[in-house]
Amino acid sequence: MRRVAIAAIACAACLTAVPARAHEIGTTRVRAMFDSKNEYSIEIVTDAASLIEKIDVASGRTAGASGDDAGLARRLRASDAMFRRRVGVDFGLRAEPPAIEYDVIRGTATAPAVAKITLRGRVPAGASRFRWSYGWTFASYALTVECESCRPVTEWLEGGEPGGVLPSIAPAPPTRMRIARQYLALGFTHILPHGLDHMLFVLGIFLLTRVPRHVLAQVSAFTIAHSITLALSMYGILSAPARVVEPMIAASIAYVAIENVLLRQVKPWRIALVFAFGLLHGLGFAGALKELGLPRSEFVTALLTFNLGVEGGQLTVIAAAWLATSRCMSQSWYRARVVIPASLAIAGISLYWTAARI
Amino acid sequence: MAAGVLIAGTPLAAHDMWIEPTGYHSRIGEIVGLKLRVGQDFLGDPLPRDPALIDQFISVDADGRKPIVGRDGTDPAGFVRVSSPGLLVVGYRSRPSRVVLPAEKFNQYLKEEGLEPIAALRADRRQTGEDAHEMFSRCAKTIIASGSPAATDGDRALGFTLELVAERNPYALKAAENLPVRLLYENRPLAGALVVAINRANPSSRISARTDASGRVGLRLAQSGNWLVKAVHMIPAPAGSGAEWASFWASLTFDLPGAQS
Repeated sequence: MRRVAIAAIACAACLTAVPARAHEIGTTRVRAMFDSKNEYSIEIVTDAASLIEKIDVASGRTAGASGDDAGLARRLRASDAMFRRRVGVDFGLRAEPPAIEYDVIRGTATAPAVAKITLRGRVPAGASRFRWSYGWTFASYALTVECESCRPVTEWLEGGEPGGVLPSIAPAPPTRMRIARQYLALGFTHILPHGLDHMLFVLGIFLLTRVPRHVLAQVSAFTIAHSITLALSMYGILSAPARVVEPMIAASIAYVAIENVLLRQVKPWRIALVFAFGLLHGLGFAGALKELGLPRSEFVTALLTFNLGVEGGQLTVIAAAWLATSRCMSQSWYRARVVIPASLAIAGISLYWTAARI
Repeated sequence: MAAGVLIAGTPLAAHDMWIEPTGYHSRIGEIVGLKLRVGQDFLGDPLPRDPALIDQFISVDADGRKPIVGRDGTDPAGFVRVSSPGLLVVGYRSRPSRVVLPAEKFNQYLKEEGLEPIAALRADRRQTGEDAHEMFSRCAKTIIASGSPAATDGDRALGFTLELVAERNPYALKAAENLPVRLLYENRPLAGALVVAINRANPSSRISARTDASGRVGLRLAQSGNWLVKAVHMIPAPAGSGAEWASFWASLTFDLPGAQS
């Protein structure tokens, strides 16, 4: 489910569009709350008698005596349709009108009765903004916007202006879990289906040997290496231009594929080479991750989960290859009919890339 | 001194501020709450007592001038004990508030408040299309009556920057008599200013008149009930104030007893 809530940044940005406030601050307060279930509630606290009076006049009635507090609540409920006319909750999309509850907190000898009005509704799916207007007050009032994962933002609005001032809704500043899920998926899809070159490299690693231990050793070396360079370059310690890294990545794939044709088993230097290539691929992943952008607040989370996603993508490729070849792997013709042609194909493609990327 | 009736409709670009006592007629010894209201068409929102805004909040009666007491942040903003018969005048003068108004809104406000000279000045300076930096201050008064009204009682000039002074006791006004009101700016009559009177029971129909050379208007208040009389004056803001325009909002509230109408 898409979660929508208020971004503090968006609100701060719209503040600049607000005319500087007069300092005559009334007693009206508005609090808008957005929860993670896409529901909102907007609570208006305002002087009951002056609200009733304005509604009466707007309805063409003579502003009458205030009456008792219970009477005020009754009159407010009876004026629901009129009240709604000067209250705007706009998400830029069609939305059900809010349900409105009217309450009056009794006055005392020194404090007048206060109306507490609560608007509830659902934020329509895909909403990207929230525009509030309240035309039942003439004084300046505070609008506080709150959501579960953001700091409350208060802005001062001028009352009496229908169409008023707008805080914007934006996707919630995402939670750690959400970032983790997002970057896990980004890492995975960077390999599968988007990273054909990385897929071919992993297939190249897989094709050389039928011994699971050797596959695992190579994959581990590759993983450790690319994690190192990914982290170093994301922290800005290491940097390499894509025009250097990308052709080298293509060349590394070609190298592994050609070696698969020439070698029959994993040699010690192969692990070292795969490690070296891993360092190279890590730089490539870093380039991709930089393009995606990392949330500053959850840098480590995003880095780790992206890496994990990459890992998941690679293991999926290996698992798929394993499934596809498990029947013929023990056949005598496996090398001649599978490993060599496949490796040659990979070598061909990656040599072409190498040339194309230079 | 042309009088006319204006029909107010849409929301106005700038708001009035006035004092609404919990009772316009009171007995000796009674405590009257003084509610500050900001709004339009005599429909207002509470303005709780804000010490940062108050320049003067005083009452004047036969016994003299006293500060109005109250609790900060609450509405009513102040309380006064009625201690002598006659008229009790309460005044509230605010410190200036600053506001930046978009050109369109400011121009609209100049039109609504009859501030044509300022609109002309802006046009001369080719500023009509520009946002306006304004500082505004309030000069609100209310008149509370106690005891039987005497024609000899009158409103009092408090010395506010812009001030409306009723020249007859509204509580002793006879039917079909005009209420002469004088507008003073820095204690001198202000000519050519728009004075508007609004009745609470019928706020959308306004009575308006321009002050004559002696700063006077004669308001024909045909309806009984609570009245708000208001006027706005604007000048180029003094250099160094950080604003372009300084405005002063005078208001006067009182009740016109039914028997007289």
